[in-house]
Amino acid sequence: MKRLLLAVVAVLLGLAVPAVAQSATPAEDLITSGAGFDGNVVTVSGELVGDFGVRSDGTVWGQLNDDSYADRPLRESGAHDQGNTGIGVRFGSELGFELDEPGGYRLRGPIVTATGIWHYHDPDRGGESYLEVTGFEVVEPARALEDPAFWPLWIVGMGLLLAAYYLYWRKNQQRVPGS
Amino acid sequence: MLIRPEGDDFRIIGIQLGRIALVTALAGTIPLVWAIVGREWVPATAFLLMVGVLALLGAASRFIEVQHHQLEWSHGMVVVALTWLLVPAVGAIPLALSGHYGSVFDAYFDAMSGLSTTGLVLIQDLDHLAPSLNFWRHLLHFLGGQGIIIAALTLFTGSGGTTLYYGEAREERILPNVRSTARFIWKVAAYHFVIGVMALASVAFFLLGFGAWRSLFHAVTIFFAAFDTGGFSPMSTSIGYYHSAVFEAMAAVLMVAGAMSFGLHFALWRGPRRSAFKNLETRTILGTVAFTMFLTMLGLAAGGIYSNAAGIGRQGFFQLVSAHTGTGFATIAPGELALWGGLAFGGMTMAMALGGMASSTAGGVKSLRIGLTIRNLVNQIRQGLLPERAIQSTTYFQNGVRRFTPELGQAVMTVSLLFVALFLLGTGVALGYGYDLQEALFESVSAGASVGLSVGVTEPTMPFMLKLTYVVQMWLGRLEFIAVFSLVGFLVAWVRGR
Repeated sequence: MKRLLLAVVAVLLGLAVPAVAQSATPAEDLITSGAGFDGNVVTVSGELVGDFGVRSDGTVWGQLNDDSYADRPLRESGAHDQGNTGIGVRFGSELGFELDEPGGYRLRGPIVTATGIWHYHDPDRGGESYLEVTGFEVVEPARALEDPAFWPLWIVGMGLLLAAYYLYWRKNQQRVPGS
Repeated sequence: MLIRPEGDDFRIIGIQLGRIALVTALAGTIPLVWAIVGREWVPATAFLLMVGVLALLGAASRFIEVQHHQLEWSHGMVVVALTWLLVPAVGAIPLALSGHYGSVFDAYFDAMSGLSTTGLVLIQDLDHLAPSLNFWRHLLHFLGGQGIIIAALTLFTGSGGTTLYYGEAREERILPNVRSTARFIWKVAAYHFVIGVMALASVAFFLLGFGAWRSLFHAVTIFFAAFDTGGFSPMSTSIGYYHSAVFEAMAAVLMVAGAMSFGLHFALWRGPRRSAFKNLETRTILGTVAFTMFLTMLGLAAGGIYSNAAGIGRQGFFQLVSAHTGTGFATIAPGELALWGGLAFGGMTMAMALGGMASSTAGGVKSLRIGLTIRNLVNQIRQGLLPERAIQSTTYFQNGVRRFTPELGQAVMTVSLLFVALFLLGTGVALGYGYDLQEALFESVSAGASVGLSVGVTEPTMPFMLKLTYVVQMWLGRLEFIAVFSLVGFLVAWVRGR
């Protein structure tokens, strides 16, 4: 019954998406003045990061970051800004099949436009705030982040370790009588 | 007359600092191996550099020769104060090289925050940080919470352990000598680590549906931050990331365990357990938790922030436990916490300032001092009501019956007042930069009491002087003043002494 209801809501929202998708709500607004959006259908764009927590009830929890790092993480020479700005998202596992792995160290996660109902201090979930996603639109798939080794620093580090080892060896030699 | 320190004084301090550098180098090899195995080359390079610097310092210190080997009280205090300044400086190397900080000082801020188990952060784009670096941030909590000094005492024998032990703001020696006490502290941590990590990982894997490796990663990092009342978290949304009341409850249990004194752990471990609950400190903390919890819940209910009791109970309880234990985990964003005005704000700020138990990893004024201050006040009132010539003898129960002396009352009041001054310092500086009183006070108490909860003041763009003030607050608050004042005295004697 619950799934049927969700499906109906999804279809209705699907009809509504073209009207609202053009005006994505910044995640920051949902965090600082979330009460005003409670129960409303909102659209948030950003990067899915962290983990997909697949629960036994068939739902999946994730985090949607709507910040400058979603476009360009610091590891891709993105500009220094504030900390991350993210909201919790919950969606049916059937919606997650088309999604790439969420972002992290090795991956800039998929950029999506998520549409759903904003729950502010949901009384049924002990006061949590999250977006109940009914539809994802993948704007940009995930991409690998490079991790180039910087060999000059490796050499410096190894040099320091060798120097430390030499000092140990030298001190131990001094302690051996007759050496 | 001030006596100028001699060459041997500096050499003794150098030897001790060298030992601590070796312990930190040893700790640094764990994330180094992690990074190499995980093929995270940028962090691996940074860790290699850090371990190299520390190992070289440690090795060089072995060449220092002294005439008199006795580590005196002043040496111990100076070593502790310098340790807590220098280890973050070297520990910040991998953080600074990660590219996740706006400046080198921001990386130092986070390293100090980690080591002092505060939990305030200036890191940017945390959600793309390498797992090995994330692990290092949390390991700093563990090193700071369990005490690098404790680690050095466990590994190295030698005289003068007592002064180092007390310098790190630990007030009770559980076992006859400091070394066996240090070993007991590690044993408690090891047991909690095994049980805590298994429990958290099980919840993450079976209940939250994370992958096996990620479950273990989250469990280890959250354990370090919870048990050492640190407050860092592997994801930017802190504990709110997990969306699970069960996970929050487990984190709360670990936070409480971290805020318990090792004396209480010892009593619960080896008995008699009843006496632990007779202690003035235990009774005081139960009272202050109940009082601040009541204030916070009442404030949340009056403010209409949550629409039902479940919301008030879950969010209020978690945030309050996090504040009172000095941890700094949150299930809500800083911007949302800033909306907790009135009584809820009062309850939270008070809880942060009061802190956990003495000889625990928690910060703040601490419940033993609060209990003794209240006892002192009651004594004063009683004395006023008694006939002029009457003399009252006062005792209190803390691991046995102890006499409450005027000297003890004075010492307790002095440290408590110093904490108040510390909180006012940060508040004043933030007010000077135009922050409003509520956020300035909240953030200052959070920094000074080693908590880490934020209402949004602590961010990479905040003024440099405010960052510096919070660093000083974290340093002073964690060491509870004496070691830092000793260092200042040592430096003054060096400059002006004869």
